[in-house]
Amino acid sequence: MKGTRKLLLILLATVIAAIFLLPLVWMISTSFKNDFEALAGQMNFIPKKPTIENYMEGLSGELMNVPIVRWITNSLSVGVIGTAIVLLIDSMAAFALARLSDLPFKRTLFAMFVASLMIPGVLTFLPMYMEFNALGLINTYSALILPYTAGAFGVFLLYQFFISFPKEIEEAARIDGANKWQIYSRILLPASVSIMVTLGIFTFMGIYNDFVWPLYATTSPEMRTITAGIALMAQGSYTQAYGKLMAMTTIATLPVLIVFILGQRSFVRAITQAGVK
Amino acid sequence: MRTSWMSRLTSALFALPYTLCFAMFLLFPIGYGLYISLHDFELLSEEHPFVGLDNYIAIFSGGTYENSVFLRGLWATAQFVLFSVPLLIAVGLGLALLVNVLPGRIRGLFRTFYFMPYAISASVMAVIWLMMFDTNAGFINSMLMKLGIDTIPWLTDTPWAWVSLIATTLWWTIGFNMIIFINALNEVPEDYYEAASIDGATVWSKFAYITLPSIRPVMLFVMITSTIASFNVYAQPFLLTRGGPGDSTKVLLMNVLDQAFIRREIGSASAMAIIMALLIMIISVVQYRLTYGRKESGV
Repeated sequence: MKGTRKLLLILLATVIAAIFLLPLVWMISTSFKNDFEALAGQMNFIPKKPTIENYMEGLSGELMNVPIVRWITNSLSVGVIGTAIVLLIDSMAAFALARLSDLPFKRTLFAMFVASLMIPGVLTFLPMYMEFNALGLINTYSALILPYTAGAFGVFLLYQFFISFPKEIEEAARIDGANKWQIYSRILLPASVSIMVTLGIFTFMGIYNDFVWPLYATTSPEMRTITAGIALMAQGSYTQAYGKLMAMTTIATLPVLIVFILGQRSFVRAITQAGVK
Repeated sequence: MRTSWMSRLTSALFALPYTLCFAMFLLFPIGYGLYISLHDFELLSEEHPFVGLDNYIAIFSGGTYENSVFLRGLWATAQFVLFSVPLLIAVGLGLALLVNVLPGRIRGLFRTFYFMPYAISASVMAVIWLMMFDTNAGFINSMLMKLGIDTIPWLTDTPWAWVSLIATTLWWTIGFNMIIFINALNEVPEDYYEAASIDGATVWSKFAYITLPSIRPVMLFVMITSTIASFNVYAQPFLLTRGGPGDSTKVLLMNVLDQAFIRREIGSASAMAIIMALLIMIISVVQYRLTYGRKESGV
């Protein structure tokens, strides 16, 4: 009785998993089909005439005349640089808020940062565009990076970790003559590798996957990120070139899927820690 | 007192870089947005005359263009919120319960499967589903044809356009809610269930009288975050249905951005964005109050 029930549940879970994975498998399968076969309305997962042409053209830049490699490079660079900045400035701020008792305006700052977590993005989107426009920074890498540095999520996540760090170790270091920077960089940071990895994955995926801001903040083809580029192509005249589109989406998804699968444990922890305070 | 002054300064230096970014890319835009909304801010024009509350008044007076796009967008968004949020909660909780009763060894695997679409960007998600829902060549209609069922215009006819938007939203984001629910379920003390079992409680009554009350705060969190996310919906209708058929799935955020970038009326668009943000915050507070009541919340 128990065994049958368990088997049925596993069966149910497998069917649902198939539904979740099917679009991804179909994407990969279609990326190996020529456009004719991709539009044939068949349901074959194994292409009848498998081709890597979609990928070859894509990576050589010939595919639909769009610089896919450049887009991927943009996305990866912006994601990595943005994440590095966020990790540095968020950890410094969280250190000051959690460990430095003489920080001026500490309570005001903390209250402002926490309150900002409740502000919907729609409130800042247009004025941010106008701000970057006024600064002449639309269509630059700055526009693709800087807006992501203002989020308080990382400060809050790291604050929670730093505040629980044992005071004794810090005091011992202070007696040995360590200054604040040394305490931050030699004691606190090495002890926070895992939470920093968590925040790093979260931040990288957020920047890499965002598409609305890059869509409006870039204007020339070579400045697009891969997500904004794909969004434009899906709206343009390539809508039904499914084989080629799927090769592009597969290439675009690969980096983030690798980060996600490798860092899933950390990612889950970030969600649960930040979610249920 | 020199050391103390120095110490305060060095402490401030640690907080300075982030605080600057916060001020420039969060605080300033909020104030600037308010300023823009009080002006006739035509994007390409050199002069932006002060118009007071005119932009807001136009949105709230019947018969104006602004009033009609705002209300139509709000209505589309409201429908999306009403359809999607209950499902985002129920399916998220359902998947969490399912994953939690699976044998330990395969639990992580299934959790990953259900969570994986969450890692994909909005535009990739949209392109995949454009192909899945394609009326002539799409996977889903091909399957329906094999089964001898009439094909469905998934993205070009109502109510199917809504069904497609909700389905893709569930596929794409449900993993997030599931993870939060799994965590909440694991925090319910095991003794409660054991005590209930001794008393002969059924699976259903354990769920209704132990599980649900224990995860109430998390339920509220998921409800609020899902409502906010659904209220901000953009990518799905923008890329999948393009607001169609007609304007039926043209949600509020699409209208706000059209007002800003197609009609170039940034002042009026900013006013719309501010009202939209206020609506989102009011709805969150109402949901909080309805769950906890005035006294308990202490707000």
